[in-house]
Amino acid sequence: MSDDAVIEMSGVAVANPHGSDVPVVASVDWRVARGECWVVAGQQGSGKTTVIETAAGLRPASRGEVRLFGEPLPSPAGEAMARLRQRVGFVFEGAGRLFPDLGVAENIALPLRYHRHLTAAESSAELRPLMEAFQLERFANLAPGRIGRAWARRAGLARAMASRPELVLLDNPLEGLDPVHLRWWRGFLAELVHGHPWLGGKPATVVIATDELRPLLGIGTRFATVDGGRWKVLGDREAVSASDDPAVRELMDERN
Amino acid sequence: MDSVHLPSRSVSIVAVAAVRARAAGATLRRLVAFTLIAIGTLVTKAGKSPQVMRPLMTEQVFRVGVKLVPIVCFLGITLGIVIVGQTVTVLQTVGAVKFTGMLLVTVVIRELAPLVAGLVVLARVGTASVIELATARALGEVEALEALGIDPIHYLVVPRVVGFTVAVATLTAHFVLLALVSGYAFAFARGLPLTLTGYFGDIATALSWADFPLLALKTSLFGAVTGMIICYQGLSQALRLEEVGAATTRTVAQCVVGCLCIDALFVPVYLLL
Repeated sequence: MSDDAVIEMSGVAVANPHGSDVPVVASVDWRVARGECWVVAGQQGSGKTTVIETAAGLRPASRGEVRLFGEPLPSPAGEAMARLRQRVGFVFEGAGRLFPDLGVAENIALPLRYHRHLTAAESSAELRPLMEAFQLERFANLAPGRIGRAWARRAGLARAMASRPELVLLDNPLEGLDPVHLRWWRGFLAELVHGHPWLGGKPATVVIATDELRPLLGIGTRFATVDGGRWKVLGDREAVSASDDPAVRELMDERN
Repeated sequence: MDSVHLPSRSVSIVAVAAVRARAAGATLRRLVAFTLIAIGTLVTKAGKSPQVMRPLMTEQVFRVGVKLVPIVCFLGITLGIVIVGQTVTVLQTVGAVKFTGMLLVTVVIRELAPLVAGLVVLARVGTASVIELATARALGEVEALEALGIDPIHYLVVPRVVGFTVAVATLTAHFVLLALVSGYAFAFARGLPLTLTGYFGDIATALSWADFPLLALKTSLFGAVTGMIICYQGLSQALRLEEVGAATTRTVAQCVVGCLCIDALFVPVYLLL
């Protein structure tokens, strides 16, 4: 196990989230090095979300070993896991799973207030640059249900970024976005990969699950697919472009 | 050896009872495990993240306690008239007025008030809380908390259990006070020869000092058990929309059984006073 590995999965059977004994993906061998941007592509329902949730330690694996930042995953309820999760940002699909009883700004500030015991004023001051960069200031005091889905997803991203994570996992971030939001997200992801000012200009390690490869081809540096319960590492951009795998071509939207 | 044949209906009743008993046992085991985890979290994370947790607890105390003060006051006054007023009148009629204090302490303070407060909290807030938690679980809010490194038991369960515990205890005190006062007012209005000092003097004499901590403990346990069962039913499994109604019904039944079991445990203690 090398020092610069952020995620390591060896022989991992990804458990079925619906309780079935049959794993969603039979065997995942995957190593994500620091600074890489992985794109995990698969059709809807293929299990790509479950794979990245397992990698982030949000779901237990049926079999095999998952290591984050070189360490095996600690007990889910312990303080060690809580500390580990502060180094990981997870952006959920859809409207970002914001907490409906908190305002947008309160949602974003929650990890800082919980872990670093900041007051509302302190967290607000600290998060102002992030809110501005994400154009969320005007929604700060609104309930998540009062803002559009695309803005809610952006707020979910801001919440995941609040604690300045080293590893960012995003589940289908570009799904169903209008051209303006799509452009913003592509710009943000490119910046994240090359070094976002919020993260001190350091390139983050990024994993993006998607059901469409093409919009992320220019952003990802490494690619993998989940298809029919099988995990397949494709390699770099050139390997994806050169792949004659029908599943890959379909995810590249070349059958339409 | 001859085999013994039971009538088929008896066999099926026994079989159903056995299945139900096993299911109840399994639920109880899971509930105890959930309670132990929650108590562990409450103890190990006491005082952690006060900036987030204190407002959550205050909100729950307000929601479960303060907002229910009017309905509990109304029930205190009406049940005071109905039960205390009538009891005092009957005791006067049969010449057993010297038992007024003892009867009111036993019936109203020790038994009726905690049960009424517990049931009001369960009906007005408990059922809504099950739906709220089940929805949070179904919408993935529990995973969202875990992803942020926030313990869902600490964030979702602890404030509710604290809120229910404080609320049932304080609402019981409101109920007791208003029931006794309104009962006296009813008796006074009917022209019974009962002085205010005599009435409350009888009650004070019948009360022992142990009644105060015991009442606090009993009502706190009612609140804690109700809160724990509500959180368990709302969070322990991912519910589909059509299952939420059944979970709510189960919660009410389990809370009532839980509170009555606690009540029964206090009977021998009260008999020793």
